[in-house]
Amino acid sequence: MKNFKAVGSRLLQLALVLWAVVTILFLMFRLMPGNPMAAYIDPTFTLEQQQQLMAQFGLDKPLWQQYLIYLGNLLQGELGQSFRYREPVGQRIWILLPNTLILTFSSLIVAYVFGILAGAYLAWRRGSWVEQAAIPLVLTTRAMPEFWLGMVMLAIFSFSLGWLPAGGTRAPGNEYSGFLDLYTSRDFLAHLALPAATLAIYSQGLPLLLMRSNMLDVMKEDFVTMARIKGLSNWTVVVRHAARNALLPVMTSFAIAVGYQLQGNVVVESVFSWPGLGRELVNAVAASDYPLAQGAFLMIALVVIFMNLLADLLYAFLDPRISHA
Amino acid sequence: MSEPLLSVRDPLLSVRDLRVSYQVGRNFVHAVDGASFDIPRGSITGLVGESGCGKTTIARALTRVIAENAAITGGQILFDGKDLAKIPEKEMNALRWRDIAFIPQSAMNSLDPVYTVEYQLDEVLRRRGGLNRKQSRARSEELFEMVGIDANRLNDYPHQFSGGMRQRVAIALALALDPKLIIADEPVTALDVIVQRQILDQLKELQTRLGVSVILVTHDISVVAYICDRTVVMYAGKVAESGTMQAALTAPSHPYTMGLRNAFPDLQGAASGILTPIEGAPPNLASPPAGCRFKPRCPFALDICGTEPPVIEVAPDHPVLCHRAHESAALRIESAKTETWMAPA
Repeated sequence: MKNFKAVGSRLLQLALVLWAVVTILFLMFRLMPGNPMAAYIDPTFTLEQQQQLMAQFGLDKPLWQQYLIYLGNLLQGELGQSFRYREPVGQRIWILLPNTLILTFSSLIVAYVFGILAGAYLAWRRGSWVEQAAIPLVLTTRAMPEFWLGMVMLAIFSFSLGWLPAGGTRAPGNEYSGFLDLYTSRDFLAHLALPAATLAIYSQGLPLLLMRSNMLDVMKEDFVTMARIKGLSNWTVVVRHAARNALLPVMTSFAIAVGYQLQGNVVVESVFSWPGLGRELVNAVAASDYPLAQGAFLMIALVVIFMNLLADLLYAFLDPRISHA
Repeated sequence: MSEPLLSVRDPLLSVRDLRVSYQVGRNFVHAVDGASFDIPRGSITGLVGESGCGKTTIARALTRVIAENAAITGGQILFDGKDLAKIPEKEMNALRWRDIAFIPQSAMNSLDPVYTVEYQLDEVLRRRGGLNRKQSRARSEELFEMVGIDANRLNDYPHQFSGGMRQRVAIALALALDPKLIIADEPVTALDVIVQRQILDQLKELQTRLGVSVILVTHDISVVAYICDRTVVMYAGKVAESGTMQAALTAPSHPYTMGLRNAFPDLQGAASGILTPIEGAPPNLASPPAGCRFKPRCPFALDICGTEPPVIEVAPDHPVLCHRAHESAALRIESAKTETWMAPA
């Protein structure tokens, strides 16, 4: 089967990218100035104690050996020990990653569903006053910095109106038995609303403008004209033919947007004190907690790589010219 | 302008003084400027002329799916007792594809790339033809058989077909609802000559078998000569000459038709001598010349050609838009000489 072969070669590519990311991360933290143990080692330690600690973390070995150990550990899912928390990085990330993913995907899905529908609508109503008013508005949302928008949202909905909580994922004192219990609680959703809305408002412009311009291009295609000559209903022409084709590049942009969003999260998670990977990353870098920063970077890279794979597969599924090429 | 004396009895379609204009900036370009012709039942009519003469605009105007900046500004399109230029959009849409189908120039771009060919046939058969799923499948297989494609290719996507095959798919689509009229807009222009002939033969065979009327829009008079029963020659938004193929080939009576005949090799491949181009270019339709629009390129132009030419019926069912149409026998002899076209008057 050609399809299996294509997926196989794609997976091999993915493994190569992953290896490159892992290697760059390894080198990056070793090329950084200063002793990686600076935060860990108390200046009052004797030289001998310091050596002992270095040996304990394997930092006395030659670089190539460290690299092999690092790769071996990664293959076993071992990300090392956080300097700051004195607990395994994997465990730390496991707690934070779901928060980040939920924030990212809930905001992006809202942004894309809204953006795609609104973009298609604006293309269809091209030249109307609705479109003329909407485009500058969308451009304004694209121009607003996320942290500023976040602060405005906080000022209005949290501090002035008092409708929504200002930060965190749960009200103080509330305990939940597990992830699912927490994520389906009203409490959590109320905390999610503001940061997710901030990210969604910031992100909807891209799919909206992309969908609109794609639609305008596709509407000029011969097959759309033919659909009209066939006497198909306006809905069939616009939705089944024009929008269906215009959607293809927007779907790919979703994957890229996830990558961007993870960066954007760094800012928004800080504004809303959202205990996610982005905020942790900032803290880890500031505290020279290299194993944690390295793990967080790796996790973000993994998500981006995985989303790209998903986009490729989705594109192949949506566009027969690719799956049957 | 006088009404052309058309003597086609009980035509399927009568176009009368049709006008279609495009708005370009603040100017209006009258792409079709008073065209009249008849399409008899069960025939193939070639609508021929060079690029920009308004032939594709007419073809699209007949479906009333025209460019956003275009409008039908006058005239009648009489089809089955209705004036298609005037009926409400809803009534027009009910008639599209069921009565008037369309074969586009490039089937590659006019088939939706993300759906299988069967989906696209099914869409027409079920949404427009009211068939159920089972009937639709049976009809699709029947249509594929008619155009000579194996039915197991129904589930393929447009990009999996060759250019010629796609054009056959386009023909199958056009035949789907048994229309009365099929408008084929340059249906073979994008294909190589061998495939052109196969497709034209197929079109002719199906047209004869099903008794449907076809308007074949083309710039290639050899294609018209190959399969058409009748021809309508257009120049600069007006009909220069129309009539049976026999009349147009043996007795072309408009200097433009004479020139066209010299400018094309024939599709049969016979080396018919030297090809002689018509010098010059068609006029700008935003500001067409006064009088006969072919005058600047016509080797037979006289002073009188600066006034609006009359429609003269040189023979029954053979109207010609030319001041000198009554002299056409003499002009034909002149027009056969290459020198005539070397130095236009």
